[in-house]
Amino acid sequence: MNKRYLYLLLLPGFLFLAAFMLIPIILTIVSTFMPDGSLTLEGYMTFFRDGYFNKILLTTLRVSVVTTLVCVVLGYPAAYYISRAGIRKKSILLALSIFPLLTSPVVRSFSWMIILGKKGLLNTFLMNIGLIQKPLEILYTPVAMMVGLVHLFLPLIIITLLGVMENLDYELVRAARSLGASSFTAFRKIIFPLTVPGLIIGSILVFVGSLTAYTTPALLGGKERVVATFLYQNAMTLNDWQAASVIAVIMIVITFVVVGLMNAWANRLNPKG
Amino acid sequence: MALISLEQVSVAYDNRFILEDFNLQIEKGKLLSLLGPSGCGKTTTLRLIAGFLNAEQGKFMFGGKDYTNVPVNKRNFGFVFQSYALFPHMSVYDNVAFGLRLRKMKEAEVKQRVTRMLEIVSLGGFEKRLPKALSGGQRQRVAIARALVIEPDLLLFDEPLSNLDANLRVNMRVEIRRIQQELGITTVYVSHDQEECFSISDQVAVMNSGKIEQLAHPTTIFKYPASEYVARFIGFGNFIAFESRSDAGEDIELSRGALKFLAAKRPNGAGNLGMLGAIRPDDLQLWPSTQEAPLSGNTLSGRVQVSTYLGRSYQYEVETELGVFTVNQEMDVPFAQGEQVTIYFPKDKLVLVQ
Ligand SMILES: Nc1ncnc2c1ncn2[C@@H]1O[C@H](COP(=O)(O)OP(=O)(O)O)[C@@H](O)[C@H]1O
Ligand SMILES: [Mg+2]
Repeated sequence: MNKRYLYLLLLPGFLFLAAFMLIPIILTIVSTFMPDGSLTLEGYMTFFRDGYFNKILLTTLRVSVVTTLVCVVLGYPAAYYISRAGIRKKSILLALSIFPLLTSPVVRSFSWMIILGKKGLLNTFLMNIGLIQKPLEILYTPVAMMVGLVHLFLPLIIITLLGVMENLDYELVRAARSLGASSFTAFRKIIFPLTVPGLIIGSILVFVGSLTAYTTPALLGGKERVVATFLYQNAMTLNDWQAASVIAVIMIVITFVVVGLMNAWANRLNPKG
Repeated sequence: MALISLEQVSVAYDNRFILEDFNLQIEKGKLLSLLGPSGCGKTTTLRLIAGFLNAEQGKFMFGGKDYTNVPVNKRNFGFVFQSYALFPHMSVYDNVAFGLRLRKMKEAEVKQRVTRMLEIVSLGGFEKRLPKALSGGQRQRVAIARALVIEPDLLLFDEPLSNLDANLRVNMRVEIRRIQQELGITTVYVSHDQEECFSISDQVAVMNSGKIEQLAHPTTIFKYPASEYVARFIGFGNFIAFESRSDAGEDIELSRGALKFLAAKRPNGAGNLGMLGAIRPDDLQLWPSTQEAPLSGNTLSGRVQVSTYLGRSYQYEVETELGVFTVNQEMDVPFAQGEQVTIYFPKDKLVLVQ
């Protein structure tokens, strides 16, 4: 095929994205600044003056940050172990870690309800062994959201990290060891710095995913709101599309700022440039 | 006494033995190379010495001490990897300083040693560069500097030049040999390139599927391969299976049917076992059969089958009653295809192997 026409391959996808994503987003952004023809920041001011919204925003950020940290702490060692395992073990472990991605978030959230509820498995167990006297309030709190989100996003960060770790030249570790490094030092000075860029990319995915997740916080959060569920409430229940648009734009801006900063950081750390 | 001694060592991957009852001794200050085709176990041997691998059986003695279970990082051996394995996130300086800093050396002394070492490998001024901003030859030299700066008790090279182009390879091997001799550091050098091994080694061990076939000084191996395998590997392209030999006279008398050949005895009566005659294509000589050979005996008549121009010489495939022989000969006017020729086997070049 003539190279000049190769861009035609890109065209359908581009048109689709332009028609159904780019243009609506631009229109949404524009509409929040001029709700009735004239330019105003009033839409935003109302939100940032509103204590309830600020609380929701804070909960969302907190849940997203904690979810990301927990995913990093749980995912990194797991990914490292899988990357160093033999071929057979590796494919089994990989399949197991991807498995949660194959089940619907609704089903997954319901199973967490069964586990975390007042009379759920966890509370029953803890009371039976006498560790607690009255049931813990976990379900319908931000903690439950985090549990659900960690479950949802752990596979993602494992897969991302695995990609980086599999490309890591293990000869570097041998080189460090032959120069006198213990296994732990070799990990600290070689493996970890070289996998940080992957860790940042994985964290971006988890953070943005948690920030915008809807189903899991809606089902496990009860009356607790996050930005995404608040947006839904404004649009569908209150029919306030103007407010929903403003929330959407705030989410987009946060996402872009976080992605931009973390990406820049990852690029700066990436030795291959 | 040998500095290094591998005693009855066996190594296996996934229950498949790569080395079995392997023995090797190396004298202090010498450079020994392991030469052999890809897959024969050279890297495995080197990794075993380095401590990256554990032996199933056997002992590794170093300087009279049992090193079999000493971990890699306590051995103080320098390793130069085929892929160089430079730390991509560290500058040239930090790469070379890595081992010294682990030894808790003062930064001032680190600086002094790194600077001196980078000068030895002609990389002064490159301290701040990252490995990705270096050429292959420069990376190689950083790798060597990094291994040498820790003043290792033993230096291990795994095909360090195989990723460089031909000119650089020759320069680098001269450099490696110079540094090795200057510092008097015992070295094990792995390569599949015979010229490389011969040019830098005190001793060469030719390996064949996990076994050492011959261990000797390079000139000994070059002239007197001990086995057919070694002979083939170092370029003896022609073989004659003799039926009888007699060592009674001044030379060894050999026969195959009605054909008689003479082979010179070796100095010190060493080797020359077996009944398989081996000779290099470069050592055979050809005459037109119309012309009388200047020497009688040790000749075979044949017919030129294929003639190939190699630049400096011509290579002929000559068909004889003992099979096809390959002959390289420099000449202005080559033999034509189909021409009748006489092949002469100089008796001091005809080697007997097992
Ligand atoms: N990590 C490994 N796992 C399984 N087999 C291996 C491994 N490394 C090397 N081998 C096998 O061991 C044999 C010797 O390999 P090696 O020592 O690397 O040879 P060389 O360095 O002489 O080319 C080869 O047959 C190779 O396939
Ligand atoms: Mg090898």
